[in-house]
Amino acid sequence: MIAVQNLSVRYGDTTVLHGVSLAVARGESFALVGESGSGKSTILKALAGQVADWQGQMRLAGQDLQPGRKAHLARQVQMVFQDPYGSLHPRRSVDDTLAEPLAIHGIKGRDARVLAMLDAVGLPRRFRFRLPHQLSGGQRQRVAIARALMLEPPVLLLDEPTSALDVSVQAEILNLLKGLREEKGLTFLLVTHDLPVVSFLCDRLAVLRAGRVEETAEVATLRAAGLQSAYGRELLERSGLV
Amino acid sequence: MTLLEVDNLRVTFPSDQGPVEVVRGLSFALGRERLGIVGESGSGKSMTGRAIMGLIGAPGQVTADRMAFEGRDLRNLPEREFRKLRGARMSMVLQDPKFSLNPVIRIGDQIAEALEFHTRLSARARRARVLEALEAVRIDDPERVARLYPHEVSGGMGQRVMIAMMVVMEPALMIADEPTSALDVSVRGQVLDIMDDLVRRRGMGLLLISHDLNMVARWCDRILVMYRGQIVEELGAGALHAAQHPYTRGLLASLPRLNEDRATLPVLDRAALDGFMAGGDR
Repeated sequence: MIAVQNLSVRYGDTTVLHGVSLAVARGESFALVGESGSGKSTILKALAGQVADWQGQMRLAGQDLQPGRKAHLARQVQMVFQDPYGSLHPRRSVDDTLAEPLAIHGIKGRDARVLAMLDAVGLPRRFRFRLPHQLSGGQRQRVAIARALMLEPPVLLLDEPTSALDVSVQAEILNLLKGLREEKGLTFLLVTHDLPVVSFLCDRLAVLRAGRVEETAEVATLRAAGLQSAYGRELLERSGLV
Repeated sequence: MTLLEVDNLRVTFPSDQGPVEVVRGLSFALGRERLGIVGESGSGKSMTGRAIMGLIGAPGQVTADRMAFEGRDLRNLPEREFRKLRGARMSMVLQDPKFSLNPVIRIGDQIAEALEFHTRLSARARRARVLEALEAVRIDDPERVARLYPHEVSGGMGQRVMIAMMVVMEPALMIADEPTSALDVSVRGQVLDIMDDLVRRRGMGLLLISHDLNMVARWCDRILVMYRGQIVEELGAGALHAAQHPYTRGLLASLPRLNEDRATLPVLDRAALDGFMAGGDR
């Protein structure tokens, strides 16, 4: 579903990704872990068409991607961001936020689709005309997930989707993401630094450091605390789990 | 020795629906130890820290039967007197160095500000103290860092600068409100190490406010668990997994584990919890 070959990204004189390769199968959930500056979010941005200039090959849902932003890409891949307080327009209602992608792409049946999506992400229908400040953090993240799913993309890019949330709310959102993935057969590419979240939500993971993939492992290896790379071990120790 | 005593602390804010009590009758004592307060957003944990620092302004209201720091009554302490305490005897480390440091003042000058306000040291002596404070937070190159602006340092370095700013006056009490949650996992350990070291070597009291149960459990001598403005449970270090209260147990259960094999994570049943709280307390 996602194939990245030898991807390099440079911002000015700084190279942030040095020939990264990874492949994610249809329906798989794949995690990128690493500290800030390791390039994990840049990979997501490149796949979402938000990086203007990159070298290498990227294939997504059977299409070769070209540098530059393409409208049709939005039907294939959508992103959920870390901070639901920052990623929703403060003066647009939930309804506006969810209906906008439909309007842009000329999709009919706005009412039915918005209501169905509210149901799918577990938001009561009475929240439809509320503004973001009238919602809690967890409810906002549900709106952000709903917005990402409005165009029914097969791939969802998740950039630390629960790290701004309380632990009990994190559990709700993780359950929701897991359920949606099973229901709709979604492919996830998740960026996080939280290894237990990977263990719950993902099938495989890649450990990144300084723009390079240090290690790719099955989640079973993670569960047994068996990461091999120096940085993978360090992450396990820092998480206090070894 | 007891550094801080709080008895029946209440913080109230007015709202359209009448006054809202965000801290509801909190009592605890802090010695020269590391005390953790954990709770979710809205539990009142940050308001507790702010109330102790005298940082809740109108229209918020703070009342307590007793609130004493080093034997001194903090209730109704005039602002002039409070300013002599703040930054000198008690300090606060905030969550995000990006927002808490002044972007247009060099780091060394920002740290020196507390010395300028509270002491009559010469410029040269102040400078020596600033460099010492930066060294105490394990910055190898204090001369260079003192000349930098906040945007020129990383998040972890920025947080160490904040701690340096707090310890330069060698306070007796440090209140750290989510000191590591804006930092990378790998840097978190270092920052906590530094604070730990300061508590041990200088005999400071530390009040660590966080939403991260496991982190607090690993770093503190005692933990207070807050829910809806009240302490629901007090736990000793390492006794987190012996927690009795349904709220604490619910939080622990909802955390994913490294060797996760549950298909879904249990979610906090707030309705049942509120029923329990109402039945248990009143």
